[in-house]
Amino acid sequence: MIEFLYTNAWGAFIFLLMLQIPFLFIFFHIVNKKAFVDSKPSTTEPERYSRYRYAWMGVVVLAFVVVNAASIGYMPTIVEAKAESDSNITDVSVTARSWHYQFSDTEFKVGETVRFKAKSMDTVHSFALYHPDGKLLFTMMLVPGAGIDSAVVHTFTEPGEYTVRCLEFCGIAHHTMKNSFTVL
Amino acid sequence: MSTAINAIERVPFFGGMFRMESNELNPVNVWPSLISMTAFIWFAIAAVIGLSMPAIQFMDLGANWYYQNITLHGAAMTFPFAFQLMVGMSLHRAGACLGKRADDIFVKLFYICMNLGALLLTLAVLGGFHVTYTVMFPLPVVGANMGQWSMGTLILGFTGIALVLTSMIVLYPVKILKMSFFEKTDENLQVAVRTLKDPGMVGMIMGVLVLLVTGTPLMIVAGSLLMHLYGIFPAEWVGWAANPVVFEFVFYIFAHNLMEAMAIMIIGAVYATLPLCTADGSRKLYSDKIALLALWILLITSITSFFHHFFTMYPALPSTLAYHGNIMSYATGVGAALTIFTILATIWKHGIIASPALFLILGGFVMYILDGASAIVISNVAWNFQLHGTLWAGGHAMVVLIAISALWMGMLYYHYPLMTNRTIDDNLARSSIKYLFISYIGLFYTFMAAGAAGVPRRNGDWDGDWMIYGVFIAVFGIMMIYAFVLYFLSLYRSKPIDY
Repeated sequence: MIEFLYTNAWGAFIFLLMLQIPFLFIFFHIVNKKAFVDSKPSTTEPERYSRYRYAWMGVVVLAFVVVNAASIGYMPTIVEAKAESDSNITDVSVTARSWHYQFSDTEFKVGETVRFKAKSMDTVHSFALYHPDGKLLFTMMLVPGAGIDSAVVHTFTEPGEYTVRCLEFCGIAHHTMKNSFTVL
Repeated sequence: MSTAINAIERVPFFGGMFRMESNELNPVNVWPSLISMTAFIWFAIAAVIGLSMPAIQFMDLGANWYYQNITLHGAAMTFPFAFQLMVGMSLHRAGACLGKRADDIFVKLFYICMNLGALLLTLAVLGGFHVTYTVMFPLPVVGANMGQWSMGTLILGFTGIALVLTSMIVLYPVKILKMSFFEKTDENLQVAVRTLKDPGMVGMIMGVLVLLVTGTPLMIVAGSLLMHLYGIFPAEWVGWAANPVVFEFVFYIFAHNLMEAMAIMIIGAVYATLPLCTADGSRKLYSDKIALLALWILLITSITSFFHHFFTMYPALPSTLAYHGNIMSYATGVGAALTIFTILATIWKHGIIASPALFLILGGFVMYILDGASAIVISNVAWNFQLHGTLWAGGHAMVVLIAISALWMGMLYYHYPLMTNRTIDDNLARSSIKYLFISYIGLFYTFMAAGAAGVPRRNGDWDGDWMIYGVFIAVFGIMMIYAFVLYFLSLYRSKPIDY
């Protein structure tokens, strides 16, 4: 479950709904009640407001801490550190120019762990890797002159044709800036 | 009769939304009305262009046309519409609350710089300068060198951007600060007395200070580049400013905080207006102290949360700064949670009068919170690597502007009788709010779902599987335009107040 939440963008969508649905329910309930059902001043005791406030803020802070703490293992620094200790990493250099990519290697095998190190030679580009089923696995922003190449470590778990796209607008042929490679 | 009233009267339809006569409150009403009216004209242009974008994709009319229209749409919606509407309304509010004139040289220069700048940028875009509203530096220069557009359109576009930035970063903040701290109070103009301790006024001052402080570095960098383009500064003087990392950072320090400043200002305005709409007539918030605490948390945490725009540069962006940006982004959510509590507790404690103005303000606030949730989700480092550059990010930028604009449009409903001596058409206003909210929800979740599906933002060629999102965007976009037409009509069909 946690793996799905943080390695799939639909996990982010589910968390978004978990934040929004309770808010919408409570907000509309209170507004409806105090605008249409009974707009008279409330007789709620002042101390209860303080209690609700602390409870509400406690829930919010706890939710934020938990969701971020649980995501630590999926942050690129940690993923890279784990991969370095568990397996051999194949380094692949990627150079982006308007509107194509150059790879130092384009043949990968299932189970292979690859560190894509990418840079841009002209304007801002990105390197976004799509799974053969269309799911976006990760994206890197490539800013020319950054000094250090952007890098993400990824382990291929399934064979198929993977697509690389630029997601940063880079000119009139931006949409044509894509490439693909096969994982065997 | 003033030039501004003449200008309003001469504009077909939109002028009819702000019919007014000369009276003693003209110094706080007329220029804010002209500025707001002009913002709505820009909206009308930008909305039609926005609707053309799915049409271009459906009919496969060409990516370059799509890039032209996405640049025009984004720039017009953000600057001469959303920002200009905020300026119009906040100048009126500041003037009427503090008893200061909102028609001096700073206001007039703001109006000229904003609209002339937006016009020049529009001409440059029509001439081929397709860089999107985020500029994407160094794309403007790279594109000119590659022959994607001419150096002339680059200079024209940068001149327009410089004028727009001058209006936003210098003229408007300086005017609000002058009104708040320096100009003499005219009691005849002070319709609703407020002090600088009031959360509403504090929010406004925080907002303009953020614009001034975070925008100044961008003014220096962009100004240096412009001087080089004009041939005044040699290349060696501006090499530092032309560094893409320098430009991107100063740009996002400003652009990110521009949205935060607009949000802080509008929350301040909600704090000021909600008590005036309470059923028990208490004219009080649940707690001024909690309201101020929420504003301070939003201010302090939002300034350095801009690092979330650069998470995916890892390791060029050090992890420490990425985690800092992550934590600060979620901390803005703490400020937002306190705001939610303050607003709901006020409503619960005092009850509310169900007026269109208040419902549009509360609807806008709901939109703002829904969007804020999408912003903090994408500000988690792990999720950012799967969502950055998709329609999730593009949708977030779009819907936060819709939310903020809806809030200011609610404020306009509230202040309209004072500004024009007229009352809005209530039935049209209620229909407008209903359609605006439904279309917002539709657009918001379409963009979020498209982002989760990996659909790229600013892409001129939607793959077959992605077109379904375009269909929903078109449907809800048409509904939103309908909602705005109803909103305009609710002002156009206003009636004089019968004393």
